[in-house]
Amino acid sequence: MAKNVFQDPEKTLYPKLPKVKDLDPKDRGMVKTKLQVFTADDPVGPKLHWDPIHREDQDPWNDFREIMRIEWNMEITYRHCLGKYSKFFIELENKKFFATECPKCGFVWAIPRPVCPDCLEICKWKELPGTGTLVSFSVSEFVPGFMDVETPYVLAMVKMDGADSLFTHQLRNWGTDRAKIKTGMPVKVVYTAEPVIHPMLLMWYEPA
Amino acid sequence: MSDRRVFVLGGGISKMAAERQDGNIRDWIVEAAMEAVKDAGVEMADIEHATTSYFSDHFDKQLKQGAIFHDSIGMCPKPNLRVEGGGGTGGLAIRNAYAYIKAGLCDSMIVYGSENMGRHVPSDVAQQFIALASDTDWEVQVAGFYIAYYALMMLAHMEKYGTKEEQFALASVKNHRNAIYNEYGQSPMKITVDDVMNSPLITSPYKILDNCLLSDGASCLIFATEEWAKTHSTSWYRKPRIEMVGTGSGTDFMRLADRPFPYPGITHFRAKKVASEQAYRMAGIKNPARELDCFEVHDAYSGVELVSCEDLKLCGHGQSGKLYEEGYFDLGGELPVNTSGGLIGMGHPVGATGINQGIEILTQLREEAHPQRQVEIINGQGGMDSHGGTGTFVAVNIFRRVD
Repeated sequence: MAKNVFQDPEKTLYPKLPKVKDLDPKDRGMVKTKLQVFTADDPVGPKLHWDPIHREDQDPWNDFREIMRIEWNMEITYRHCLGKYSKFFIELENKKFFATECPKCGFVWAIPRPVCPDCLEICKWKELPGTGTLVSFSVSEFVPGFMDVETPYVLAMVKMDGADSLFTHQLRNWGTDRAKIKTGMPVKVVYTAEPVIHPMLLMWYEPA
Repeated sequence: MSDRRVFVLGGGISKMAAERQDGNIRDWIVEAAMEAVKDAGVEMADIEHATTSYFSDHFDKQLKQGAIFHDSIGMCPKPNLRVEGGGGTGGLAIRNAYAYIKAGLCDSMIVYGSENMGRHVPSDVAQQFIALASDTDWEVQVAGFYIAYYALMMLAHMEKYGTKEEQFALASVKNHRNAIYNEYGQSPMKITVDDVMNSPLITSPYKILDNCLLSDGASCLIFATEEWAKTHSTSWYRKPRIEMVGTGSGTDFMRLADRPFPYPGITHFRAKKVASEQAYRMAGIKNPARELDCFEVHDAYSGVELVSCEDLKLCGHGQSGKLYEEGYFDLGGELPVNTSGGLIGMGHPVGATGINQGIEILTQLREEAHPQRQVEIINGQGGMDSHGGTGTFVAVNIFRRVD
């Protein structure tokens, strides 16, 4: 995965977190996950002008400054249900983009909804041509922790042809010149040729 | 509505920091609560009810945390409940205290909030946790995260009104500067617009100095009726009396993509308009920009503060950029905004943030703030705006000095 400003040790503004596996086992003593035992500083200190509790002569927490830190790892796997909008993802695998249309008001929800929230009517599925217009975008140098994306990547808000609400996805293959990405430019849905880890990633946008 | 009046008796804040290595979340709650009872001049044993304010179960890996906070400060077996609305949690918790007291369910309430956001996990994991507060099926999977969602909104604002990145940066410069005079603040800094513009790009148009902080910290506020305060609070006769005179709340679609055009579109915070209109009406405020002495605005990111000022009717749509250039919202300006330093300068431990804002308004209206950040009290009214998601949950609360 690409390094971002937080992960690159040359650029990071945050200290590198120690890991248990980097520590000498004898420093861990009888606790296998022990990261450190240290004496914490008084974070308030005597320098304040206001009058904190019982701080007249000494640190009131003096007996509680010994701190232990451990490493705690939890791995959780869910059987996640995509609910009544599952058809959207099923059809993405068939290279089709489906939205939902309200039979009462006719509003087409690009991110499909089983029920139109304006009318509380049960919607109908409607296939869209898979083209649209870029409404807004952000070029990102930062990747949230659980995502596997190369930086820079572009998050895009798109008005799909035939839909009334917007759709959010990545804009890929935009070249190398960021200045060429402009709101109002036509985009199209492109479908993956390779297997993906989440059905949402079966598609993305590219300049049309 | 009942004619019971709700007063803020006092507040307490623990020191905000990027990492409070000296303790954990329950320790900060205790710190803030001890400060709050001292400030309010009350005994914890007398307080009748509590509201717990925290946002994420992921940061501290502890569910039902309110039970721990509650017993840590000796509140058992008295009632307690949790309020949650993302970044708006604290403001909603204050609103909850108002509702409970107003309804007569109790005469006094402590509201405590905290978040453990420091360096227990790296920043990219922290951002992922926060991103889980957007739609996990539709937005998170395409590597969406909050700075980027707001970035999409800011580009829309820039294109609609001609607002400039440099004008967004002014909010960051101001809030870091205001934090210099706040002893609890996490990031007091004297910086320039150029510093913000030249800081590393996170996601266009946002640079790292446009962002709020990941913070460890806690805060508490104590509310009560006048009758309760007279018999239980020694501060009642010593300090200026601050009444909560208005509260409002609003919501919007979780996903920006679903919001209606033209208003709010992906440019504005409709929930903020709805919430502030309710609060102003309750408080009898007709022209908020004139009738309020200070406002704590939810500055999750620099540009968010500008757009918020517009939707809170502190200025007209599209006018905020120019007013920031003129220093309208600076200390010494027409309407000082985020005198505490806000989320950008003081810190953003999510569950504590709204309560921090309430404490700042309390401090300002009592004229107890550091002389360099004390605003001039003319109308004796201040407001706070607490907001979650991209404006999915909003609470606006108004306080008034009544001595």
